[in-house]
Amino acid sequence: MLAYLILSGITTGALYALIALGITILYKAAGTVNFAHGELFMMGGFLAYTFVTMLGMPYLLGLALAIAGAFVFGMVTDRIAFRPLIGSRALGVVLATVGFAFILRGAARILWGGKGDYLALPPLFAPDPIIWGPLIILPQQLVVIGGTAIVLTLFAAFFRLTRLGKMMQATADNAKAARLVGIRIEHIYTLSFGIGAAVAAVSAVLMAPLTLLYTDMGFALFVKGFAAAALGGLKSLPGAVIGGLLVGLIESLAAGYIASSFLDISAFVVIMVVLVFCPSGLLGGPAARRV
Amino acid sequence: MFSAVLATLPPWLVGRRTLGYAALVAMIVLPLTANPYWLFVGNTLLIYVILATGLNLLVGFAGQLAFANAAMFGIGAYGTGLTQVDFGFPFFLAAPCGTVLAVGFGTILAFPALRLSGLYLGLATLAFAQIAQWVFMHWETVTFGAGGFKVPPVSFAPLPISDAKGLYYLTLLIAVVVVLLAANIVRSRIGRAFVAIRDGAVAAESIGIDLLRYKALAFGLSGLTAGIAGALYSGLLNFVAPESFDLFQMMMQKAMIVVGGLGSIAGSVIGATLLTLVLEALRGVKSWQEIAFGALLLGFVILVPNGLADFLRRHVPGWREPLIHPAFSGDIDATTTEPVPAPALPQIGAIGAEAITPAAPLLEGAARQ
Repeated sequence: MLAYLILSGITTGALYALIALGITILYKAAGTVNFAHGELFMMGGFLAYTFVTMLGMPYLLGLALAIAGAFVFGMVTDRIAFRPLIGSRALGVVLATVGFAFILRGAARILWGGKGDYLALPPLFAPDPIIWGPLIILPQQLVVIGGTAIVLTLFAAFFRLTRLGKMMQATADNAKAARLVGIRIEHIYTLSFGIGAAVAAVSAVLMAPLTLLYTDMGFALFVKGFAAAALGGLKSLPGAVIGGLLVGLIESLAAGYIASSFLDISAFVVIMVVLVFCPSGLLGGPAARRV
Repeated sequence: MFSAVLATLPPWLVGRRTLGYAALVAMIVLPLTANPYWLFVGNTLLIYVILATGLNLLVGFAGQLAFANAAMFGIGAYGTGLTQVDFGFPFFLAAPCGTVLAVGFGTILAFPALRLSGLYLGLATLAFAQIAQWVFMHWETVTFGAGGFKVPPVSFAPLPISDAKGLYYLTLLIAVVVVLLAANIVRSRIGRAFVAIRDGAVAAESIGIDLLRYKALAFGLSGLTAGIAGALYSGLLNFVAPESFDLFQMMMQKAMIVVGGLGSIAGSVIGATLLTLVLEALRGVKSWQEIAFGALLLGFVILVPNGLADFLRRHVPGWREPLIHPAFSGDIDATTTEPVPAPALPQIGAIGAEAITPAAPLLEGAARQ
């Protein structure tokens, strides 16, 4: 029982970690949270469904196109709902991205909503569960964990080794100074929105074979990713990963040992506890107060 | 050029206050002519006016990015409904109970708001709202779970009026009182303190504004209006279920104050009216409802950041704007040599003129106290 709960906790935790990673990247770069992040995640999943199941493309090509599509959607989010509002109050950005999220959700309901409520995406490998002692492991769970590890490695390399990654780090550190040395920070913001959405789409295509796709999935996943990112301090990429795994584990254990309905709520309880008692998160460092 | 045409007419005919009076008269007359459906829509609209007015105090004036108003609305409705069902209270006793409950929870939220601001406060209140909804849904022994429960209709027995019309006029009365109260609050010491906190919490504290007290007051006031609205809503629907108080509800209330105008009481009224009518027109087509709602929210935040109230302020003359209105030129001496005395009780239409725009500087607000 415990081993099973931990395995499923780590699997969902890995997905939350990817969502939290996208939120953290954007928050670091642009100092804002994209409330349409969950809807971009949902779009990634539905694009994969369209390419793979509806159009019959090769599996990996379909996933790559879906991730690229989400990247574009992310950049569109920036151009529509963030760039016109740079410099205005946080509330404006939040509400603009919320508005964009509702547009995406409504559009998805029109495009994919009529075919039954839940759509299934096939897994990468044939679903032959591996039985290992008391554990039953779905191959897709290994794919999720492996895929997350690959994405995380890619990100670490991207930020350390590439010019673009260093430009993003510079913008995150000090946007004014970055602009002074010639970095076009608006482009970095656009890129951060795109990358955040692409990572969310990776998480969506990994998750879709395990659960199912439905148009209302975005918000719940966004909030869980947000909880994970807040737990990690909102500014630390390793923190986002640890936060994601922790939220996944807490959720899985609470659902297993207390009541299954706690699955929906434990992320919110985590948010409340973290924000009230430790607002800077686990790896966020001491919070500087802006006067 | 539209305003040029308006300027040729006498101010009492076209002023903003006239629009307010006209709207009030229309709402008073509505039950005499409308069928039950429009009566229901009108009643819903008034409930949203109450909600949006309270939320604007919290978000538009005090600047607290809170997402818990739908939960307060729900707590008010559940409190009212459950005390009627479980204890057999009549509506007029149950409604205050539900309202007090909502005010209590609302005020408690001021404590996290003391430590958190901006996005973090938004996240914490969002979590609170989701937890509240989860409780509505899963605490089945008390809340009857996801299916909701029926509430007895509100009876106005001694009065010669049908239940629906009685509730409508009660809601109208409360809406007018809430709007007038809010309009007076924002021009009082309390309202100035809210604006000061919004524009800079540290600066506000440094000029002697007690953050705990005023944040608690802002959350309490929005809890009060949300609780009252919840009580009326349970009476209107005769049914309480968790899905009425979900995130969409919250975002809809937020959208109302953004569309109408953050930091404007008249804006709350306008936004509540517009959003209620648009969403009612698209009822049944959820996807288009979401798209219209999202587009309104996005479009207003970006293109009309100060909302419709600001638009009205610029294009429709007020009753007391002699410099803009030629018909008033004879009165200029009387109005410029001494300050215009504020009306004892501002009326609905006049509130827009007095509202503080989000850009109002802090010192101006403080100096006028």
